[in-house]
Amino acid sequence: MSDLKGTNLYSELGQNAASQAHSGGSTAQEHSAEVPPSEVFPTLLGTMGEHRELTFFHYHIIDLPVIIYDKSDGLSFYPNIDAMVESGKYTLSTTHQIVKTSNPSEKPTLDLSITSLVCFQWLAMAILLVTFFTVKLKYKRRPISAPKGIQNVLESVVIFIRDEVVVPNLPDQNLAYKLLPYFVALFVFILLMNLFGLIPGGHTATGALGTTAGLALTSLLVINGTAIRQIGLKNWLHHLLGGAPWYLFFIMVPIEIISLFTKPFALTVRLFANMTAGHVVLLSLIGLIFYLKTLFVAVVAVPFSIFMYALELLVAFLQAFIFTILTAVFTGLAIGGHSHEEHNESH
Amino acid sequence: MDANLAHLSAGFGAGLSVIGAGIGIGKLASAALEAGGRQPEAAGELRTTMIIAAALIEGVALFSCVIAMLLAIK
Repeated sequence: MSDLKGTNLYSELGQNAASQAHSGGSTAQEHSAEVPPSEVFPTLLGTMGEHRELTFFHYHIIDLPVIIYDKSDGLSFYPNIDAMVESGKYTLSTTHQIVKTSNPSEKPTLDLSITSLVCFQWLAMAILLVTFFTVKLKYKRRPISAPKGIQNVLESVVIFIRDEVVVPNLPDQNLAYKLLPYFVALFVFILLMNLFGLIPGGHTATGALGTTAGLALTSLLVINGTAIRQIGLKNWLHHLLGGAPWYLFFIMVPIEIISLFTKPFALTVRLFANMTAGHVVLLSLIGLIFYLKTLFVAVVAVPFSIFMYALELLVAFLQAFIFTILTAVFTGLAIGGHSHEEHNESH
Repeated sequence: MDANLAHLSAGFGAGLSVIGAGIGIGKLASAALEAGGRQPEAAGELRTTMIIAAALIEGVALFSCVIAMLLAIK
């Protein structure tokens, strides 16, 4: 059962620990025989954080549905991964990836499964919507009385984003206020997803390339959409020339078009790599105890992993901030024609 | 053999890129601190600019880390 479901090193380590406590030692070899050494790294990277069930330490909470779309077979829906294997159409490879039973080297076209990452992303969305709408209701009900409780938290977040991120980087104030909701939502959403990874049993949705790529896609749209709306399509195309004379057209335009897409790509990779790197370091530190099979390593590994955990807390805030401020900076740059002196005078 | 070479190059690549990023961020931080020391009232603005620049430098290092990962998976 755990072979089909617990496709992650977290639970493998956990099971090792549990069985070692019972029978002393010999299980580690059995386990390494199961996953060949050359496959360990791909297994670790391929399934890191992405589980097909929700667990809290060893306790199984809920199975997550598996939804697979394939060009030839169409859409198939299974309540959990066991049901998928029993149905016979798809099976799991040695690296715990979903493959076709008839042809194990072929993967289905699209895996639309609701994995743990999707669950926690939805949780972040739900928290975001619920808190912001309750606060909105509170403001509607009592518009002039002093803010209380959750209102204060959100107000400080909104004011921080407004004063530190959006207003200094966008050329005019009206536009800044128009775009403020997007930036606040972006910051809080990324922050919540980052912080979920630090809760026991939680998963970092931003530790998956798909999530960060989706977020960067919205920033690509906002950057260029705002620029086109503010300065017009003609000026936006003119920006692609980068202010260089016309005879540099053939060099500048490809470079500028590439830079158009490198910005969101860098945002994607930065957030993903920062969130993943922290987890890999924690995993390796704790993994050292099981790898060297001695408890004395724990004296070093555990305090150091607590330090890394604290560092990750900082990184969770910092990366949410950086994603937001870079989007704001790029939006300001895409609009262009703005200097800081001008802005300081208007205050 | 090929896989071993790929792992070796991944390690070297990651290490070299970390050297570059380390030099970059170190220089950046030293310059920002110096500027902040000379002109403490500008420290807040400097910090924001420094974080942005550090993020950009880090971004380049992370690209190389991704390349190293791809090599290592190969």
